[in-house]
Amino acid sequence: MNIKRIVFVFFCSLVFSPALTAADKAPVEDDYYKILRYDIPKGEVMEVGALEFMPDGRLAAGTRRGEIWMIQNALDPDPKKAKFSRYARGLHEVLGLAAKGDWLYVTQRCDLSRIQDSNGDGKADVFEVVNDGWGISGDYHEYAFGSRFDKNGDLWVVLCLTGSFTSNSKFRGWAVRIAPDGKLIPTCSGIRSPGGIAANADGEMFYTDNQGPWNGTCALKHLVPGGFMGHPDSFKWYHLAKNLGSAPEKPHTNSRFMTEAKRIPQYVPPAILFPYGKMGQSASGIECDLSGGKFGPFAKQMFVADQTHSTVMRVALEKVNGHYQGACFPFRQGFGSGNVPIRFAPDGSLIVGGTNRGWGSRGPRPFALERLTWTGKAPFEIHEMHAKPDGFELTFTHPVDAKSAGDPKSYAMKTYTYIYRAEYGSPEVDPTTPTIDRVEVASDHKSVRLVVSKLHEGNIHELSAGGVRSNDGLPLLHKEAYYTLNYIPAK
Amino acid sequence: MLVCSTRLSSPYFLLPLTILLLAPSYGTTAEKAPKPDGRPIVPGFERFYNDAMADRLQGGRLLWGELSCASCHEAESGKQATPSNKQAPILDNVGVRVRHSFFRKFLRDPQAFKPGTTMPDLLAGNDAAERERQVEALTHFLASTGTLKRVRADFVAAAQGKQLYQQAGCVACHGTRDGEGNPDKVLSTSVPLGDLRAKYSIASLATFLENPHTVRPSGRMPAILNNKEAIQVGNYLLRGQALAKAAANVRYSYYEGSWENLPDFEKLKPLAEGKADGFDLKAARRGNNFALRFEGYLHLDRAGEYRFHLTSDDGSKVFVDGKQVVVNDGIHPPSLVSSKVRLDKGTHKLTTGIFNGGGGVELLVEIQGPGLPKQPVAPLLTLNPEGNPKPATQPVDPAEDDDFAIQPELATKGRELFGSLGCASCHQLKIGGNPIVSTRQSPAMGKLRAEGGCVSEKPAKGVPNYSLSATQRGALTAAVSSPAPAAKASAGEMIQRNLTALNCYACHQRDKRGGVEPAVDALFATTQPEMGEEGRVPPALDGVGAKLRLDYLKHIFNQGAHDRPYMLTRMPRFGEGNVPGLAEAFVEADKGKLEPVAAVKFDEPASRVKSAARKMCGGNSLGCIKCHTFAGHKAEGVQGIDMLLMPKRLQHDWFYRYLLDPQKLRPGTRMPTAWTNGQTVLEDVLGGSTAKQIESIWVYLQADGKAALPAGLKKNSIPLVADKEAIIYRNFIEGAGARAIGVGYPEKANLAFDANELRLALVWQGEFIDAARHWTDRGVGFEPPLGEGILRLPTGPAFAELAKDDELWPTNPAEESVGKFRGYRTSTDGRPTFRYAYRGFEIEDFPNAVSGKHSATIRRTLSLRAEKSPSNLWFRAAVADKIEDLGDKKGYRINGESTMRFGEAQAKIRKSGGKMELLVPIQFRDGKARLTQEIEW
Repeated sequence: MNIKRIVFVFFCSLVFSPALTAADKAPVEDDYYKILRYDIPKGEVMEVGALEFMPDGRLAAGTRRGEIWMIQNALDPDPKKAKFSRYARGLHEVLGLAAKGDWLYVTQRCDLSRIQDSNGDGKADVFEVVNDGWGISGDYHEYAFGSRFDKNGDLWVVLCLTGSFTSNSKFRGWAVRIAPDGKLIPTCSGIRSPGGIAANADGEMFYTDNQGPWNGTCALKHLVPGGFMGHPDSFKWYHLAKNLGSAPEKPHTNSRFMTEAKRIPQYVPPAILFPYGKMGQSASGIECDLSGGKFGPFAKQMFVADQTHSTVMRVALEKVNGHYQGACFPFRQGFGSGNVPIRFAPDGSLIVGGTNRGWGSRGPRPFALERLTWTGKAPFEIHEMHAKPDGFELTFTHPVDAKSAGDPKSYAMKTYTYIYRAEYGSPEVDPTTPTIDRVEVASDHKSVRLVVSKLHEGNIHELSAGGVRSNDGLPLLHKEAYYTLNYIPAK
Repeated sequence: MLVCSTRLSSPYFLLPLTILLLAPSYGTTAEKAPKPDGRPIVPGFERFYNDAMADRLQGGRLLWGELSCASCHEAESGKQATPSNKQAPILDNVGVRVRHSFFRKFLRDPQAFKPGTTMPDLLAGNDAAERERQVEALTHFLASTGTLKRVRADFVAAAQGKQLYQQAGCVACHGTRDGEGNPDKVLSTSVPLGDLRAKYSIASLATFLENPHTVRPSGRMPAILNNKEAIQVGNYLLRGQALAKAAANVRYSYYEGSWENLPDFEKLKPLAEGKADGFDLKAARRGNNFALRFEGYLHLDRAGEYRFHLTSDDGSKVFVDGKQVVVNDGIHPPSLVSSKVRLDKGTHKLTTGIFNGGGGVELLVEIQGPGLPKQPVAPLLTLNPEGNPKPATQPVDPAEDDDFAIQPELATKGRELFGSLGCASCHQLKIGGNPIVSTRQSPAMGKLRAEGGCVSEKPAKGVPNYSLSATQRGALTAAVSSPAPAAKASAGEMIQRNLTALNCYACHQRDKRGGVEPAVDALFATTQPEMGEEGRVPPALDGVGAKLRLDYLKHIFNQGAHDRPYMLTRMPRFGEGNVPGLAEAFVEADKGKLEPVAAVKFDEPASRVKSAARKMCGGNSLGCIKCHTFAGHKAEGVQGIDMLLMPKRLQHDWFYRYLLDPQKLRPGTRMPTAWTNGQTVLEDVLGGSTAKQIESIWVYLQADGKAALPAGLKKNSIPLVADKEAIIYRNFIEGAGARAIGVGYPEKANLAFDANELRLALVWQGEFIDAARHWTDRGVGFEPPLGEGILRLPTGPAFAELAKDDELWPTNPAEESVGKFRGYRTSTDGRPTFRYAYRGFEIEDFPNAVSGKHSATIRRTLSLRAEKSPSNLWFRAAVADKIEDLGDKKGYRINGESTMRFGEAQAKIRKSGGKMELLVPIQFRDGKARLTQEIEW
């Protein structure tokens, strides 16, 4: 054999082979996060609306048909080993579960109840109302989503409006807290149609609201006590919320979120806007990754499900001028039904429940219960996106290739927002196309600085980083990032 | 700049100015339009060319067509001014459809009487006396062509007409009108309607609205309404029209008093009598405690069986020839009673009586019989047996007189003038089948100079005066100086020209031109608000030539369309002949805009391809039918376009590309895709091939409207059955409220507890409940019990302290519940014990089903606890018309349908508020009390 040829082959394999591998088979989500599907007992309909882990490790699943199922061995690597038993039935559309001591707290349409199996036969037999201080009129849209307990021991409930536009029953369109003594504390007005509620790593409560009147697109919103979240029909209940004083000024229709935020002190603009059709169409369940790395490199980030697109998206928040804002990223698609609740298991896997009754979904199954597990291999992703006075800083999950990551042509950016208005939804408006003037790659190759002219305060900044390669020559698993730039930091 | 300042007053002023400046061709106009200052209004010109900066040549060519210039000025051979020439209204038999008084008013000065009209004044240069003679002659001639049709005004129809006018699309071109049918928000681009009441009768306007192309063949006024709707809109637009003939056709007598049934009018003396136009309840002098009797004569052409339908609130009767025919008596909300009677041919006296106690009042008498479709009878009646009297010869305002005597010599002179002045150059008017020929001579287009003539600031005597504005004159001058070349216009030019001339831009946008104007935007409404813009605003036409099939485009032009069930605005019918070649131009202009789709070949047999598609469309797979109607079946939520219509409307490649990436072709649409980035979510269908899956749906839907229905279209029932254990169902249950707790027992008795009102609300026998309403789709509404023998228990509080024996039982406080619901415990076989609290005491309520001899009974045990024992506490077990004590501990019989027993307790029957009540005393001992209630029914 010709020695020269051997050297050449060796050289090739050294320099080109990672790139070739990458080109041969572009990485896919399934290489990093696997979807496992549980077999629902035959003949049962389990339209999952809420998930919780019991102190003894059982997974509790509440359903829209008003049942609660207990699932043993839910975390076995083989989902077929899971054992289902019906714990309760006859509840009214369960959309919140929280375990505390011997009790399972259940948020249903009409109240927050706590339930218990007092005789140990595996079925709940005590159903106690904890608080029922809100109204229901018989309108199907009046859903109630419950959180788990916050750092003060309060449980939060977000109350969907009567239909899309109006609040016809007490506290519809509000977030309320139920204190440990069972008292109801009116907390935020302005809710439209929530899909989930959970705290972030700081213990601050967030909920998702859906595209509709006063909501140009779906969003993740920070529930600041005393805050107004955007839909003014809820104002009619301020007379029952003496702790909050009088109603805020009504927002002007056909305005912009940040225009009104400057005018109305109580108004809390959305922390994250999910661009409609790009990042789902019906934002739902929320979870914060507190697994300390068991779910991969995204510790303390938020995950948000989408019912229409059957996806789980990823959110990295930061605080600018005292307000939460940040970026959302695609994360995992391909779930079986319309995702509603998500819940981290103690082992760091993510349980995902779904239903597409009444609202269609990409996932074709009428209902599903699934588990998303990390393979242990970190995908090459934009880890975080931070706003800077003159652009953005991106951090990555793997060191980047300095040449591609340092080339402004590897990135493209456009900005837009949505109309804040009484009408249903909104088109994308106010488009601008900033230029990426310069990119500085950090010496550790773990982050880059994008110098951009010019940023547009109040707009979503949609970034596509298609040209960036990792040190190993891999493209980003997801090249898009969408930053809701409510505020540009001063430094 | 004018455009900018007017825009700033629009609700979109918050849009950044940059966008406004970048997109002037959207051509929005101000909400408050300037008064049209007497120039002809051509909407396309006002929107796009009425500006010093605008393209004068294009604007002029538009006016040339829209002002019908070519009717006088022939185009030079080899040159064409414009492809479309708007034909003036056809005046055949115009006397049948236009009020004769209108001719005079309009012809005296068209622009003054109907500001914005495109009709020129042909008499402008004549001296006043000569003009008046000519107007008079023309008026007599036009009036001689027919007699105006009239019908009676219908106020109910007018209300419906208002809604149609606002929603069907009229506002897009004509602006909004108020409740009385008068102009409200008129845009500068609104086609003026003039004083409609001066021009039409309801009948003639309705005829025009139903089929406008008969009179205005060029389609600028498209057809949008069916016969019934045209009558409704006609009634709305002419609301309050004062016709010279105020025609009373019945006599009425008015009475006051308080009755529970219709009084015998013969024994009463009327407070007032008079004549009325139909059964006009306005003859009453107050809203409550009155009665009215109407009498008129009905003329029947045929003998036979006639059916009368009597709707009233409160009671009413109908008599024919003194014989009672229909009775709808007593105090009640609007309700209908029908009955039939044989009547001979000829004249019959018809009498109707109605009384009102309080609240709303309503009366409608309809007739149906041989040769008479179901209709209100009042308009058919006459005041006297021989008919209605001749109208009183009271002086009629000559300006409103539609019945002036036509002088034949004047009419003859008018007919000559119609030809010689040039009216006939534009207006077709046939007499005896032959059109009047215009003898007016006008220079051919090529001979026209770019000044003088019609485009003079002050046209000379005999020259048509259009009252053109300076901008319009400039534009026309440009067009005359530069006739369009004979070469065929490009597809893009042709589209723009047609969409401008026919004002399609009032609703549609294409190439960023046109679209709904902000001032009327809010009136574009939908039945599905959650669909947002795409649910209410007519679609943009970008790429439509690559989307719709050529034959379907033509079909839409010819027939109009209402394919989107959720959109209230309709696509009207323009007539394809009025847009020749437009469909083809769309196809040509949009050619290549869509990435072509490679042919898909199936290895599978056709039956498997279709069944795979059918499965995908169904509720258990992709769920297309959740949002799309299918073969007329409604969807669960949004009612999207019928799927079977798709292959008829759409081009194959568009369908394919749209399913792959809906956002790309319709940005912002709610339509999701199942094939993100081309990847299917259904790996086990047709080999997981995206191409095959999409193609199969296309093939399946093709089946000529006969595609087998996909699964999930029709709801199945989900009966809940208590087998070994009791079963609880919490949901919206009819009769038990939004917070109902239904319990089905294995003994086949069932109940529903109302957890808001803290009361047992319903008990029933047999089947428990059907959960399908709440467990399929979104779960809308209240579900009644599935079984039989439904017994409704008293509403309001179940417990009360009564200080005195005759104290009225309290009602529930307005906002708050009477107490607190605390929840329930269940036995090992699922039977609940409800726990709740009234003020001062706690209750455990264990209702249970027990098998009985014939049917199950409910045995209920209530245990009460109180810190401080209440005195005079009662439990109200029943409220009924009749309650009997059966004695000897046999219990109490309620309305003859159920029996209740209370153990040792001695219940009390009392009369209260016009009903019987069954009350059981509660005796506390050591802070505890116990009550049993057995219900057998």
